[in-house]
Amino acid sequence: MLWAEVRRLPWLGVATLATAVAASAGGLVAPWVLGAMIDDIAGGADHGDVVLAAVVIAVAALSTGLLTGVSAALLSRLGETVLARLRERVLDRTLHLPATTLDRVGAGDLLSRVGDDVSAVTTALVTTGPQLVSALLTIVLTAGGLFALDWRLGLAGLVAGPMYVLAVRWYLPRSGPFYARERVAIGERAQAMVSSLQSGATVRAYRLEAAHTAEVNERSRVAMDLSIGVFRLFTRLVGRLNRAELVGLAAILVCGFLLVRADLVTVGATTAAALYFHRLFNPVGAVVLEFDEIQSAGASLARLVGVAELERPRPPAVVREPADSGLELTGVAHRYDDGPLVLDDVSVRIAPGERLAVVGATGAGKSTLAGIAAGLLDPAAGAVCLGGVPVGELDRGRHVAMLSQEVHVFSGPLVADLRLAKRDATECEVDQALALVGATAWVRALPDGLDTVVGESAHRLTAAQAQQLALARLVLADPTVAILDEATAEAGSAGARELERAAAAATKGRTTLIVAHRLTQAELADRVLVLEHGRVVETGTHADLVEAGGRYAELWRSWTGAGR
Amino acid sequence: MRELTGGRLLRRSIGRHRGRLLGGVLLLCGHQSAEALVPVMIGVIIDQAVGTGEVLALLWWVFVLCVLFASLTTFWRFGARNVVVAMQRETHQLRIEVVTRVLDPRGHRTGMRAGEVLQVGTSDAERAATVMHAGSMGAAAVVALAVSAVSLLAIDVPLGLAVLVGVPVLVAGLQLLSPLLTRRAAAAQETAGETTALATDLVRGVRALRGIGALGSAADTYRASSRTTLRATLRAATTNGVYLGITAAVSGLFLAAVAGFAGWLALDGRISVGELITVVGLAQFIAEPVRLLGSAGQMVANARASADRLVRVLTAPAVLTPGTRGDVPAGGVRLREVTYRSLAGLSLDLAPDETVGVLGYDQRDCDALLDLLSGTVPAGEYTGRVEVGGVPLAELDLDASRAAVLVEQHDVALFEGTVRSNLHAGADRPRETVEAAVAAAAADDIPFDHAVTDRGTTLSGGQRQRVGLARALAAGPRVLVLHEPTTAVDAVTEERVAHGIARLRAGASTLLVTASPALLAVADRVLVLDGGRITATGTHAELSDSDDRYRAAVLR
Repeated sequence: MLWAEVRRLPWLGVATLATAVAASAGGLVAPWVLGAMIDDIAGGADHGDVVLAAVVIAVAALSTGLLTGVSAALLSRLGETVLARLRERVLDRTLHLPATTLDRVGAGDLLSRVGDDVSAVTTALVTTGPQLVSALLTIVLTAGGLFALDWRLGLAGLVAGPMYVLAVRWYLPRSGPFYARERVAIGERAQAMVSSLQSGATVRAYRLEAAHTAEVNERSRVAMDLSIGVFRLFTRLVGRLNRAELVGLAAILVCGFLLVRADLVTVGATTAAALYFHRLFNPVGAVVLEFDEIQSAGASLARLVGVAELERPRPPAVVREPADSGLELTGVAHRYDDGPLVLDDVSVRIAPGERLAVVGATGAGKSTLAGIAAGLLDPAAGAVCLGGVPVGELDRGRHVAMLSQEVHVFSGPLVADLRLAKRDATECEVDQALALVGATAWVRALPDGLDTVVGESAHRLTAAQAQQLALARLVLADPTVAILDEATAEAGSAGARELERAAAAATKGRTTLIVAHRLTQAELADRVLVLEHGRVVETGTHADLVEAGGRYAELWRSWTGAGR
Repeated sequence: MRELTGGRLLRRSIGRHRGRLLGGVLLLCGHQSAEALVPVMIGVIIDQAVGTGEVLALLWWVFVLCVLFASLTTFWRFGARNVVVAMQRETHQLRIEVVTRVLDPRGHRTGMRAGEVLQVGTSDAERAATVMHAGSMGAAAVVALAVSAVSLLAIDVPLGLAVLVGVPVLVAGLQLLSPLLTRRAAAAQETAGETTALATDLVRGVRALRGIGALGSAADTYRASSRTTLRATLRAATTNGVYLGITAAVSGLFLAAVAGFAGWLALDGRISVGELITVVGLAQFIAEPVRLLGSAGQMVANARASADRLVRVLTAPAVLTPGTRGDVPAGGVRLREVTYRSLAGLSLDLAPDETVGVLGYDQRDCDALLDLLSGTVPAGEYTGRVEVGGVPLAELDLDASRAAVLVEQHDVALFEGTVRSNLHAGADRPRETVEAAVAAAAADDIPFDHAVTDRGTTLSGGQRQRVGLARALAAGPRVLVLHEPTTAVDAVTEERVAHGIARLRAGASTLLVTASPALLAVADRVLVLDGGRITATGTHAELSDSDDRYRAAVLR
């Protein structure tokens, strides 16, 4: 998948590789020339030779510098472009995951993929990647240089190779689990701190200060001990690397000594070989030390590719147009996984433009019914049709909109938040939508009006404002069918009533199913459906049901506080 | 005691671990000296053994090389361990100091939000402790430079001076480029951060997006942001490439100059071939300690900035100066002529065995009342009397006042653990108490063993609110103050909860600050709070019959 992306940029790929190899090769010139210079001096050269050697090193330095710069820039360009395409694809696929998959996987996992994993890969690509590539190339080319000096010197240097490999093979299986435990411990520590600090008022109210401090202390200590343990292990790895360096260097010097004595190589060649090997200390160290980061970046990358390779859900093969905006549910039943039935044989028809309120206790199945009616949840049994067409065969997004209980304010300018619903909405349309839901006054009062940056880390909107915003988005999306399942989180009935008015205005003229968390919402509806344990127990107008004296009438009495 | 400042905090950090740090720094200095001697040794071996062909000399010098590596690796291993242990311990200590200070029941005036304090307790604590790393690194670098200087000057004074002056000049010159580099990199990181934040934000709101069919436009928004980031990172990459290229070229040119100079001297017989190798090797080596010195300076500056923020938290004055009385003789609450924020001469009585509803027309009045009763308002900020069980609140010590009055806020904060651990709230309450509270809060449908994450996100809004209510009821304080405990609960359940509270709290003082008719109906009396004072009193039925404004506010 990554390779396919790289191949889409063939010239960039080739140029990157060529300049990187040339840059690394340029680094080999200096030790070589130095070795030659030593032989020249021993062999009685003149000052001109020394100057020439210095000039060669200087020219090599200039061209190496140029090549290094170009290759680093090209490498970043290649990596960053591929990464940008990858992250865009990952987000696209994540957003288009089916609702049920989304629930099963959990928001936490997806958030860490589009957030932490992308960051991990980016960091690796920006800092470690170029270093690693140049280190690897330097190692390969320097080893080649050693052999070019003399194959016996090359072999002597190669003695260190297995020792490096053994050191890494000793380290990785030990460090992996250690790092994993450390990460978990650090996460738990952060969790304990967040929980204590953010809920400080509650901690104090229940006199839990000592308990919470002790908890943070304990977790911080565990994380600290693990971090120290990880570092101890790391120092032992470095010890092994030092040993490999010593063996390689000593082998080259001893071998050079014997070869010089046998008159097979010059002192200069031995010098160059020793300098080559000394030059390898840092790049080999870099490769080994970055191994962990590369591994974890690799794991993150795998998680990203896993998402990117998902197929986008296909739109229906033949898109049909509904005959009208009437919504009909027939024999709908649902259960989550192997749990109990949460909906059982629910049938209801909402006429075009009609407003139906669903009433019931917590756990009666109201939200499930709303999700199924909106086509976001596939029922275990039964069918949902809009204007005679099953919702699966519709371009659903164009006809049906749903506001769920989770109200979210998207970070960024307020107007951008609204334009998510309608990309090309004019300022005038935006203003009208805000006016319809009664949000004009507070939006005008914002520091920068429509351009005020809102969201978690900027201007925080109140729960009621966030709901009005969600309703304004619904108005802009302009669906024929609206499903409302937003709880009025507002404390106090004045605010709640204002929101009810806004919801009524936003859904005027649309076929509407509204989950009534407050019975006033039911009172305003054309018809009321009472759910109990997933079954329909009553349907009718508000007046009729109150008159009938059944379950709804009882609820209404207790709600209004009448009769007491 | 002298006032704590950022600088003093860092000195205190070092002082707290001075023994361990001193040992660590000495060992690290040894390590750097040994590193500096490696190129010297290569030159010596070439000179004394390879050049002469004497076996004994070879054996001797290889042995010396082994000793050098053995000390190099041992010094680093134990030196670095000591420094890291000291750093980790100090980070831990600072972290606990922050948490202890922030959770102090007397409150703190840091002026920081929870997120900022968290930042101080995590990354600032870590960064302040890096002063130890920076210090040991700097010391070791200085020693390495000294060793290199001695070696170079011993070989040839003019050559040595040229190298010793040339390298720092080069490193400093390259440092001049680094602000540009840092700025570009920071800009790239910032846009990358924004793009990542956008991604998480969109995924958090995916249900809202799907609901209005806005997935496509969300993906487009992200693509645009991702492209902006790409452009910024490419700019940074180009700058970085230029920097790397210049570094490589300049250091290569310097090497050429040193090699030429040293070669010239060797040709004249003023230095040996081995010394030539040593000089070239050292010229390459000393760039490293010079760079280390530079980054040590940078690290100290960062540590200093973090230390300043830590000091702001650690020395923040307390909000409250609590009294000393440790006993509350009775229940009940009495407020006389209290003026505080929007409250204007509020007088209010809550008998020891009474449930009273408070309906505030203005949310600010309710908030002010709740803050006063929760005991988080210092005595100097309000006028009038606030008494609990006949004793002024300000005379009570914190333990007593908090044991007597419990305020459960509208937005319930639950803690990580289980539903059970939250219900017990750190105390070991009898099973019957907890079960009765759960039944009264209509929370009996939630399994006790249900795992609760921080902030209770594994529970629905309604479940969270009912668990919070059950927790407050189970705590059974003399005076319980509940603020809108049923907003996320449906009408049927609300009715059950109202009767549950009335039943469980019979014979104790309970204040219900709410606009819910179901709750107000079970109160013995309802007080109407308007314009900072009580304007009407009566039962819910009386008030809803006689008072139009009251009816409009509660009857929905």
